[in-house]
Amino acid sequence: MASPRIQAGTAAETPPTLWDPVVRVTHWGIAASVLLNALLDEGGSVLHVTIGWIVMALLFLRMVWGVLGPVEARFSAFPPNPLAALRHLRQLATGRVRHYPSHNPAGALMAYAFWATLAVVTATGLIMTGGATPMQVAADKAAVASGDWSALIRDGEGASDEDESLGKAAKEVHDVAANLLLILAALHVAGVALESRAMRRNLVAAMLIGKRQR
Amino acid sequence: MSIGPDILVSGRRQIVALSIFLVIQTLGTVFYVGDVIADLREDPASAHFVFEAIVTAALVLGVILGTFALRRTIELLRSQEQALAVARGALSEVIEGQFDAWALTPAERDVGLLALKGLDVAEIAELRGAAQGTVRAQLTRIYSKAGVSGRAQFAAFFVEDLLSGGLKAA
Repeated sequence: MASPRIQAGTAAETPPTLWDPVVRVTHWGIAASVLLNALLDEGGSVLHVTIGWIVMALLFLRMVWGVLGPVEARFSAFPPNPLAALRHLRQLATGRVRHYPSHNPAGALMAYAFWATLAVVTATGLIMTGGATPMQVAADKAAVASGDWSALIRDGEGASDEDESLGKAAKEVHDVAANLLLILAALHVAGVALESRAMRRNLVAAMLIGKRQR
Repeated sequence: MSIGPDILVSGRRQIVALSIFLVIQTLGTVFYVGDVIADLREDPASAHFVFEAIVTAALVLGVILGTFALRRTIELLRSQEQALAVARGALSEVIEGQFDAWALTPAERDVGLLALKGLDVAEIAELRGAAQGTVRAQLTRIYSKAGVSGRAQFAAFFVEDLLSGGLKAA
Protein backbone atom coordinates (compact mmCIF):
# COMPACT_ATOMS: atom_id res chain seq x y z
CA MET A 1 0.00 0.00 0.00
CA ALA A 2 1.44 3.32 -1.03
CA SER A 3 1.27 5.38 2.14
CA PRO A 4 0.91 9.11 1.59
CA ARG A 5 4.30 10.65 1.01
CA ILE A 6 3.07 14.08 1.90
CA GLN A 7 1.35 13.79 5.22
CA ALA A 8 -1.22 16.20 6.50
CA GLY A 9 0.37 18.03 9.41
CA THR A 10 -2.79 17.88 11.46
CA ALA A 11 -3.30 14.17 10.96
CA ALA A 12 0.10 13.07 12.21
CA GLU A 13 2.07 14.24 15.22
CA THR A 14 5.27 13.58 13.31
CA PRO A 15 7.11 15.84 10.88
CA PRO A 16 6.39 15.28 7.18
CA THR A 17 8.19 12.36 5.57
CA LEU A 18 8.63 14.68 2.62
CA TRP A 19 8.43 18.46 2.70
CA ASP A 20 6.50 20.18 -0.08
CA PRO A 21 8.51 21.23 -3.16
CA VAL A 22 8.51 24.94 -2.30
CA VAL A 23 10.13 24.27 1.09
CA ARG A 24 12.66 21.96 -0.53
CA VAL A 25 13.58 24.20 -3.46
CA THR A 26 13.97 27.31 -1.29
CA HIS A 27 16.03 25.33 1.26
CA TRP A 28 18.54 23.89 -1.21
CA GLY A 29 18.59 27.00 -3.39
CA ILE A 30 19.54 29.17 -0.43
CA ALA A 31 22.03 26.58 0.89
CA ALA A 32 23.86 26.40 -2.45
CA SER A 33 23.76 30.18 -2.88
CA VAL A 34 25.21 30.84 0.58
CA LEU A 35 28.08 28.41 0.02
CA LEU A 36 28.81 29.85 -3.44
CA ASN A 37 28.76 33.47 -2.33
CA ALA A 38 30.64 32.90 0.91
CA LEU A 39 33.36 30.59 -0.32
CA LEU A 40 33.73 30.57 -4.10
CA ASP A 41 32.93 33.76 -5.97
CA GLU A 42 34.31 37.24 -5.51
CA GLY A 43 32.37 39.78 -3.47
CA GLY A 44 31.00 42.58 -5.65
CA SER A 45 31.23 40.51 -8.84
CA VAL A 46 28.21 40.24 -11.12
CA LEU A 47 27.83 36.58 -10.13
CA HIS A 48 27.90 37.48 -6.43
CA VAL A 49 25.23 40.15 -6.85
CA THR A 50 23.09 37.88 -9.04
CA ILE A 51 23.19 35.08 -6.47
CA GLY A 52 22.38 37.62 -3.76
CA TRP A 53 19.25 38.61 -5.69
CA ILE A 54 18.30 34.96 -6.14
CA VAL A 55 18.60 34.49 -2.37
CA MET A 56 16.37 37.53 -1.88
CA ALA A 57 13.73 36.02 -4.20
CA LEU A 58 13.88 32.58 -2.55
CA LEU A 59 13.71 34.14 0.92
CA PHE A 60 10.72 36.22 -0.18
CA LEU A 61 8.96 33.13 -1.56
CA ARG A 62 9.56 31.20 1.67
CA MET A 63 8.12 34.11 3.68
CA VAL A 64 5.00 34.16 1.49
CA TRP A 65 4.78 30.37 1.82
CA GLY A 66 5.10 30.76 5.61
CA VAL A 67 1.81 32.64 5.57
CA LEU A 68 -0.09 31.12 2.64
CA GLY A 69 1.45 27.64 2.40
CA PRO A 70 0.17 24.29 3.71
CA VAL A 71 -0.19 23.80 7.47
CA GLU A 72 3.24 22.43 8.35
CA ALA A 73 5.10 25.02 6.25
CA ARG A 74 3.36 27.94 7.95
CA PHE A 75 5.07 29.98 10.66
CA SER A 76 2.13 29.21 12.95
CA ALA A 77 3.18 25.53 12.92
CA PHE A 78 6.58 26.35 14.42
CA PRO A 79 6.45 29.61 16.40
CA PRO A 80 9.77 30.81 17.78
CA ASN A 81 9.91 29.61 21.39
CA PRO A 82 13.35 29.64 23.05
CA LEU A 83 12.06 27.91 26.20
CA ALA A 84 10.61 25.02 24.20
CA ALA A 85 13.86 24.87 22.23
CA LEU A 86 15.88 24.52 25.45
CA ARG A 87 13.49 21.86 26.70
CA HIS A 88 13.87 20.02 23.42
CA LEU A 89 17.68 20.16 23.62
CA ARG A 90 17.52 18.76 27.17
CA GLN A 91 15.35 15.91 25.92
CA LEU A 92 17.81 15.35 23.11
CA ALA A 93 20.64 15.02 25.66
CA THR A 94 18.69 12.39 27.60
CA GLY A 95 17.69 10.65 24.39
CA ARG A 96 13.94 10.90 24.88
CA VAL A 97 12.57 13.25 22.26
CA ARG A 98 9.03 14.27 21.47
CA HIS A 99 7.88 14.37 17.88
CA TYR A 100 6.44 17.54 16.42
CA PRO A 101 4.16 18.01 13.41
CA SER A 102 6.56 20.53 11.86
CA HIS A 103 10.10 21.64 12.77
CA ASN A 104 11.06 20.79 16.35
CA PRO A 105 11.43 23.91 18.55
CA ALA A 106 15.24 23.95 18.28
CA GLY A 107 15.08 23.49 14.52
CA ALA A 108 12.47 26.23 14.29
CA LEU A 109 14.73 28.64 16.16
CA MET A 110 17.53 27.73 13.75
CA ALA A 111 15.27 28.49 10.77
CA TYR A 112 14.35 31.90 12.16
CA ALA A 113 18.03 32.65 12.91
CA PHE A 114 18.87 31.76 9.30
CA TRP A 115 16.11 33.92 7.88
CA ALA A 116 16.99 36.93 10.03
CA THR A 117 20.69 36.65 9.14
CA LEU A 118 19.89 36.17 5.44
CA ALA A 119 17.72 39.28 5.54
CA VAL A 120 20.59 41.24 7.12
CA VAL A 121 23.11 39.98 4.55
CA THR A 122 20.75 40.77 1.67
CA ALA A 123 19.84 44.22 2.97
CA THR A 124 23.45 45.24 3.60
CA GLY A 125 24.39 43.87 0.19
CA LEU A 126 21.73 46.09 -1.38
CA ILE A 127 23.10 49.12 0.51
CA MET A 128 26.63 48.33 -0.70
CA THR A 129 25.54 48.16 -4.36
CA GLY A 130 23.16 51.10 -4.04
CA GLY A 131 20.28 48.76 -4.84
CA ALA A 132 21.62 48.13 -8.34
CA THR A 133 20.19 45.07 -10.07
CA PRO A 134 22.67 42.49 -11.40
CA MET A 135 21.89 43.78 -14.91
CA GLN A 136 22.97 47.29 -13.91
CA VAL A 137 26.09 46.01 -12.17
CA ALA A 138 27.01 44.11 -15.33
CA ALA A 139 26.34 47.18 -17.52
CA ASP A 140 28.43 49.42 -15.24
CA LYS A 141 31.29 46.93 -15.21
CA ALA A 142 31.18 46.65 -19.00
CA ALA A 143 31.23 50.46 -19.31
CA VAL A 144 34.22 50.77 -16.98
CA ALA A 145 36.02 47.98 -18.83
CA SER A 146 35.56 49.84 -22.12
CA GLY A 147 37.12 52.95 -20.64
CA ASP A 148 33.98 54.89 -19.75
CA TRP A 149 34.52 55.84 -16.13
CA SER A 150 31.30 57.83 -15.83
CA ALA A 151 29.59 54.79 -14.30
CA LEU A 152 31.95 55.08 -11.35
CA ILE A 153 31.26 58.80 -11.05
CA ARG A 154 27.53 58.13 -11.06
CA ASP A 155 28.07 55.72 -8.22
CA GLY A 156 29.88 58.38 -6.23
CA GLU A 157 27.42 61.10 -7.20
CA GLY A 158 26.19 62.96 -4.15
CA ALA A 159 28.11 60.62 -1.90
CA SER A 160 28.39 62.54 1.34
CA ASP A 161 30.52 61.50 4.29
CA GLU A 162 27.37 60.13 5.81
CA ASP A 163 26.73 57.86 2.82
CA GLU A 164 30.31 56.71 2.90
CA SER A 165 30.25 55.77 6.57
CA LEU A 166 26.93 54.00 5.98
CA GLY A 167 28.55 52.04 3.17
CA LYS A 168 31.48 51.07 5.40
CA ALA A 169 29.17 50.02 8.21
CA ALA A 170 27.10 48.01 5.72
CA LYS A 171 30.21 46.20 4.47
CA GLU A 172 31.25 45.42 8.04
CA VAL A 173 27.82 44.02 8.93
CA HIS A 174 27.64 42.15 5.59
CA ASP A 175 30.92 40.34 6.30
CA VAL A 176 30.10 39.52 9.92
CA ALA A 177 26.60 38.29 9.06
CA ALA A 178 27.94 36.19 6.18
CA ASN A 179 30.37 34.47 8.57
CA LEU A 180 27.52 34.00 11.03
CA LEU A 181 25.60 32.23 8.24
CA LEU A 182 28.42 29.73 7.82
CA ILE A 183 28.53 29.10 11.59
CA LEU A 184 24.75 28.61 11.62
CA ALA A 185 25.05 26.22 8.67
CA ALA A 186 27.60 24.10 10.54
CA LEU A 187 25.38 24.04 13.65
CA HIS A 188 22.38 23.20 11.45
CA VAL A 189 24.12 20.21 9.87
CA ALA A 190 25.25 18.94 13.28
CA GLY A 191 21.71 19.43 14.63
CA VAL A 192 20.15 17.49 11.76
CA ALA A 193 22.58 14.60 12.32
CA LEU A 194 21.80 14.51 16.06
CA GLU A 195 18.02 14.77 15.55
CA SER A 196 18.02 12.11 12.86
CA ARG A 197 19.70 9.70 15.26
CA ALA A 198 17.55 10.60 18.25
CA MET A 199 14.26 10.50 16.32
CA ARG A 200 15.29 7.54 14.15
CA ARG A 201 14.00 9.49 11.17
CA ASN A 202 15.98 10.44 8.12
CA LEU A 203 15.49 14.21 8.19
CA VAL A 204 17.71 14.70 5.15
CA ALA A 205 15.55 12.42 3.01
CA ALA A 206 12.47 14.43 4.02
CA MET A 207 14.17 17.52 2.62
CA LEU A 208 15.35 15.72 -0.54
CA ILE A 209 13.09 13.14 -2.19
CA GLY A 210 11.43 11.33 0.70
CA LYS A 211 11.55 7.59 1.21
CA ARG A 212 11.29 5.66 -2.04
CA GLN A 213 8.20 3.51 -1.77
CA ARG A 214 8.48 1.57 -4.96
CA MET B 1 -0.77 -4.43 -1.80
CA SER B 2 -2.43 -2.15 -4.27
CA ILE B 3 -1.03 -0.11 -7.09
CA GLY B 4 -0.75 3.59 -6.27
CA PRO B 5 -3.73 5.30 -7.84
CA ASP B 6 -2.89 7.22 -10.98
CA ILE B 7 -4.77 10.23 -9.74
CA LEU B 8 -2.32 10.67 -6.82
CA VAL B 9 0.78 10.21 -8.95
CA SER B 10 -0.40 12.82 -11.42
CA GLY B 11 -1.36 15.08 -8.50
CA ARG B 12 2.17 14.90 -7.14
CA ARG B 13 3.62 15.65 -10.55
CA GLN B 14 1.33 18.63 -10.84
CA ILE B 15 2.51 19.94 -7.47
CA VAL B 16 6.18 19.63 -8.42
CA ALA B 17 5.57 21.34 -11.77
CA LEU B 18 3.57 24.16 -10.15
CA SER B 19 6.30 24.65 -7.54
CA ILE B 20 9.08 24.90 -10.09
CA PHE B 21 6.97 27.36 -12.05
CA LEU B 22 6.33 29.40 -8.90
CA VAL B 23 10.05 29.58 -8.06
CA ILE B 24 10.98 30.74 -11.55
CA GLN B 25 8.12 33.25 -11.49
CA THR B 26 9.30 34.63 -8.15
CA LEU B 27 12.87 34.96 -9.37
CA GLY B 28 11.72 36.90 -12.42
CA THR B 29 9.40 39.06 -10.38
CA VAL B 30 12.03 40.08 -7.82
CA PHE B 31 14.50 41.02 -10.56
CA TYR B 32 11.79 43.00 -12.35
CA VAL B 33 10.76 44.81 -9.16
CA GLY B 34 14.40 45.78 -8.61
CA ASP B 35 14.59 47.10 -12.15
CA VAL B 36 11.38 49.11 -11.76
CA ILE B 37 12.63 50.68 -8.52
CA ALA B 38 15.86 51.65 -10.29
CA ASP B 39 13.85 53.18 -13.17
CA LEU B 40 11.65 54.98 -10.67
CA ARG B 41 14.71 56.85 -9.44
CA GLU B 42 15.67 57.80 -12.95
CA ASP B 43 12.57 58.75 -14.94
CA PRO B 44 9.19 57.85 -13.46
CA ALA B 45 7.25 59.60 -16.25
CA SER B 46 8.64 57.65 -19.20
CA ALA B 47 6.44 55.25 -21.15
CA HIS B 48 9.09 52.60 -20.55
CA PHE B 49 8.66 52.92 -16.79
CA VAL B 50 4.87 52.90 -16.89
CA PHE B 51 4.81 49.82 -19.10
CA GLU B 52 7.34 48.00 -16.95
CA ALA B 53 5.49 48.90 -13.77
CA ILE B 54 2.26 47.40 -15.15
CA VAL B 55 4.04 44.23 -16.23
CA THR B 56 5.66 43.97 -12.82
CA ALA B 57 2.36 44.42 -11.01
CA ALA B 58 0.95 41.58 -13.12
CA LEU B 59 3.94 39.41 -12.20
CA VAL B 60 3.47 40.10 -8.48
CA LEU B 61 -0.20 39.22 -8.77
CA GLY B 62 0.78 36.07 -10.63
CA VAL B 63 3.09 34.97 -7.80
CA ILE B 64 0.36 35.47 -5.20
CA LEU B 65 -2.25 33.61 -7.27
CA GLY B 66 0.29 30.89 -8.04
CA THR B 67 0.92 30.45 -4.33
CA PHE B 68 -2.79 30.05 -3.64
CA ALA B 69 -3.21 27.61 -6.53
CA LEU B 70 -0.29 25.51 -5.34
CA ARG B 71 -1.55 25.34 -1.78
CA ARG B 72 -5.02 24.37 -2.97
CA THR B 73 -3.56 21.61 -5.12
CA ILE B 74 -1.51 20.31 -2.20
CA GLU B 75 -4.53 20.31 0.11
CA LEU B 76 -6.68 18.66 -2.55
CA LEU B 77 -4.12 15.89 -3.00
CA ARG B 78 -4.00 15.36 0.75
CA SER B 79 -7.76 15.03 1.05
CA GLN B 80 -7.67 12.56 -1.83
CA GLU B 81 -4.93 10.60 -0.12
CA GLN B 82 -6.88 10.61 3.11
CA ALA B 83 -10.13 9.60 1.46
CA LEU B 84 -8.43 6.79 -0.39
CA ALA B 85 -6.61 5.64 2.74
CA VAL B 86 -9.94 5.37 4.59
CA ALA B 87 -11.55 3.68 1.62
CA ARG B 88 -8.80 1.10 1.74
CA GLY B 89 -9.81 -0.43 5.04
CA ALA B 90 -10.37 -4.08 5.76
CA LEU B 91 -12.64 -4.32 2.75
CA SER B 92 -9.98 -3.06 0.42
CA GLU B 93 -8.58 -6.36 -0.75
CA VAL B 94 -12.00 -7.82 -1.42
CA ILE B 95 -13.07 -4.74 -3.30
CA GLU B 96 -9.82 -4.54 -5.26
CA GLY B 97 -10.21 -8.15 -6.31
CA GLN B 98 -13.73 -7.54 -7.51
CA PHE B 99 -12.68 -4.38 -9.36
CA ASP B 100 -9.99 -6.46 -11.07
CA ALA B 101 -12.61 -8.98 -12.11
CA TRP B 102 -14.75 -6.19 -13.56
CA ALA B 103 -11.68 -4.75 -15.34
CA LEU B 104 -12.23 -1.23 -14.04
CA THR B 105 -9.78 1.44 -15.19
CA PRO B 106 -7.68 3.20 -12.48
CA ALA B 107 -9.95 6.25 -12.59
CA GLU B 108 -13.08 4.09 -12.32
CA ARG B 109 -11.51 2.29 -9.34
CA ASP B 110 -11.02 5.59 -7.50
CA VAL B 111 -14.54 6.76 -8.26
CA GLY B 112 -15.96 3.36 -7.33
CA LEU B 113 -14.19 3.39 -3.97
CA LEU B 114 -15.43 6.89 -3.19
CA ALA B 115 -18.97 5.92 -4.22
CA LEU B 116 -18.80 2.90 -1.91
CA LYS B 117 -17.74 5.26 0.88
CA GLY B 118 -21.04 7.02 0.40
CA LEU B 119 -19.86 10.17 -1.28
CA ASP B 120 -22.30 11.69 -3.75
CA VAL B 121 -21.47 12.79 -7.28
CA ALA B 122 -20.79 16.41 -6.29
CA GLU B 123 -18.43 15.37 -3.49
CA ILE B 124 -16.55 12.90 -5.70
CA ALA B 125 -16.22 15.51 -8.43
CA GLU B 126 -14.84 18.04 -5.94
CA LEU B 127 -12.38 15.55 -4.45
CA ARG B 128 -11.10 14.50 -7.83
CA GLY B 129 -11.14 17.98 -9.32
CA ALA B 130 -13.31 16.66 -12.17
CA ALA B 131 -16.60 17.76 -13.68
CA GLN B 132 -19.75 16.19 -12.26
CA GLY B 133 -20.67 14.96 -15.72
CA THR B 134 -17.40 13.02 -15.92
CA VAL B 135 -18.02 11.37 -12.55
CA ARG B 136 -21.60 10.49 -13.53
CA ALA B 137 -20.37 8.92 -16.77
CA GLN B 138 -17.72 6.97 -14.88
CA LEU B 139 -20.29 5.72 -12.38
CA THR B 140 -22.55 4.60 -15.23
CA ARG B 141 -19.69 2.63 -16.78
CA ILE B 142 -18.85 1.07 -13.41
CA TYR B 143 -22.48 0.01 -12.88
CA SER B 144 -22.68 -1.50 -16.34
CA LYS B 145 -19.40 -3.40 -15.90
CA ALA B 146 -20.63 -4.68 -12.53
CA GLY B 147 -24.03 -5.52 -13.97
CA VAL B 148 -25.94 -3.57 -11.35
CA SER B 149 -28.75 -1.10 -11.79
CA GLY B 150 -27.36 1.75 -9.73
CA ARG B 151 -25.58 2.94 -6.65
CA ALA B 152 -27.73 1.08 -4.12
CA GLN B 153 -27.22 -2.26 -5.87
CA PHE B 154 -23.54 -1.50 -6.35
CA ALA B 155 -23.03 -1.01 -2.61
CA ALA B 156 -25.33 -3.94 -1.79
CA PHE B 157 -23.21 -6.18 -4.02
CA PHE B 158 -20.33 -6.11 -1.54
CA VAL B 159 -22.47 -6.19 1.59
CA GLU B 160 -24.44 -9.17 0.36
CA ASP B 161 -21.38 -11.13 -0.60
CA LEU B 162 -19.65 -10.32 2.67
CA LEU B 163 -22.67 -11.54 4.60
CA SER B 164 -22.86 -14.75 2.62
CA GLY B 165 -19.15 -15.26 3.21
CA GLY B 166 -17.42 -14.93 -0.13
CA LEU B 167 -17.59 -13.39 -3.52
CA LYS B 168 -19.20 -15.10 -6.42
CA ALA B 169 -17.16 -15.42 -9.54
CA ALA B 170 -17.75 -12.53 -11.84
